Amino acid sequence: MINWRSTWSIYTRELMRFLRTAFQSVLAPVLTTSLYFIVFGAAIGGRMPDLGGVDYGAFIIPGLLMLTLLGETTSNSSFGIYMPRFTGTIYELLSAPVGVGETLIGFVGAAMTKSLILAAIILLTARLFVDYSIAHPLLAIIYIMLVAAAFSLFGFILGIWADNFEKLGIIPMLFLTPLTFLGGTFYSIDMLPKPWDTIALANPIVYLVSGLRWTFYGSSDVNIWISFGITLAFLAACTGVIAYIFKTGWRLRA
Amino acid sequence: MRVFGHDLATEWRQARSRIGLVPQELSTDMFEPVKRAVAYSRGLFGLPPNPERIEEILRSLSLWDKRDERIMALSGGMKRRVLIAKALAHEPDLLFLDEPTAGVDVELRKGMWRIIDEMRERGVTVILTTHYIEEAEEMADRVGIISGGRILMVDEKDAMMSRLGRTEAHITLAKPLDALPEQLSQFPVELEDGGNKLCYRGGDGTGKGKEEVAALTKALIASGIDYTGIDTRESSLEDIFVTLLGEDGEAA
Repeated sequence: MINWRSTWSIYTRELMRFLRTAFQSVLAPVLTTSLYFIVFGAAIGGRMPDLGGVDYGAFIIPGLLMLTLLGETTSNSSFGIYMPRFTGTIYELLSAPVGVGETLIGFVGAAMTKSLILAAIILLTARLFVDYSIAHPLLAIIYIMLVAAAFSLFGFILGIWADNFEKLGIIPMLFLTPLTFLGGTFYSIDMLPKPWDTIALANPIVYLVSGLRWTFYGSSDVNIWISFGITLAFLAACTGVIAYIFKTGWRLRA
Repeated sequence: MRVFGHDLATEWRQARSRIGLVPQELSTDMFEPVKRAVAYSRGLFGLPPNPERIEEILRSLSLWDKRDERIMALSGGMKRRVLIAKALAHEPDLLFLDEPTAGVDVELRKGMWRIIDEMRERGVTVILTTHYIEEAEEMADRVGIISGGRILMVDEKDAMMSRLGRTEAHITLAKPLDALPEQLSQFPVELEDGGNKLCYRGGDGTGKGKEEVAALTKALIASGIDYTGIDTRESSLEDIFVTLLGEDGEAA
């Protein structure tokens, strides 16, 4: 039983929070994307061969998209739940007639919407630098939403686990960013020397980047179904952890 | 535990939708404008938007002028009222107020009492915790006394006052008395200060004491005992409270 009015309230409020800082939310991805394109696309890309028949500038678009998406989604949703805990406003959510269903659909729905807005901004910015076309636009949208859902849940767990601001920042900084950079954002893992091309396969981000790249260009390092499977598995794992957290009230009821 | 006949373990949604909560700490989303914060609370509890009702609530709490201000720009007293507005937005039948007047200036406290009284008139059950016993005496129908997490006593305020309250009167006599005259034996009186004063302790906190003191003075005159001064004092809820558990504790 889901109370849709409550869900809608949580959803719109989360989106409002995003729009309140609209200038920053829009400008930051535009700026970073432009910088990456100037450095990797224009400066280095000119000396790079085509990768799997795709121009290097176009090749890095899915990677860049994933880089921004993972970072933004994780930090946004971790803050979204950490701040109410920090300021104490979480009492309202805990005293309201809403359960884990309403809360998650509201938060994750907003995260998916935000991620699509972000993706659109990044793709439009990329268009200024390189010419590209998306092979499977619908699948790309679905894939972006899936990844956004998974990482907003991941951020949610992070925001509940963290009991200070340092912990809130440390996981993205120590794990997420390095794994993303090592996850084939700017290169194909085929380009890695042995045995690193095999070791790289242990990095879950490789599958995410590779999956998104497949929806763009129809070819990728890893089989698309493995990518989809890993994304879904991550989503399921995060959902399970959160359901458990809500059931026990761990770190929610101080 | 059941609220309005709903089991809190299984029917918590129904139960929670009828309960409003105003926390003690001023926990607010600082960046949100007042009206949107209150409208959000209503939506969160699953009610359809109702701008008229929100306006009514904000006006009753003198927040309408501030409806588009960010909460962070408000004073402490206003933030407190925003929290009350948020709790009222879903029209609860039971409202918990956790020390709403703690650290609030006198004028604002009076205003808060008026608001709470209005809610009571409308049929909302208000449960208010406070350290100010004066507040309980002023507003409560029923009073519970909690100490160390245990409820020591819950009763109608008037019943509690009549059971434990009393009147104390000290009558300064014109001439000292050696012994209590026969005519005064029906009153709970005793001599003190070497027979210079007559002390009355009795009544029940509902005015019976005052009547008895009046009757006592008439009896004094009738028996020809002159007096030069009367000092009477009604014991307050605070006295009762202090006798019950000493200085520390919390009254609800």
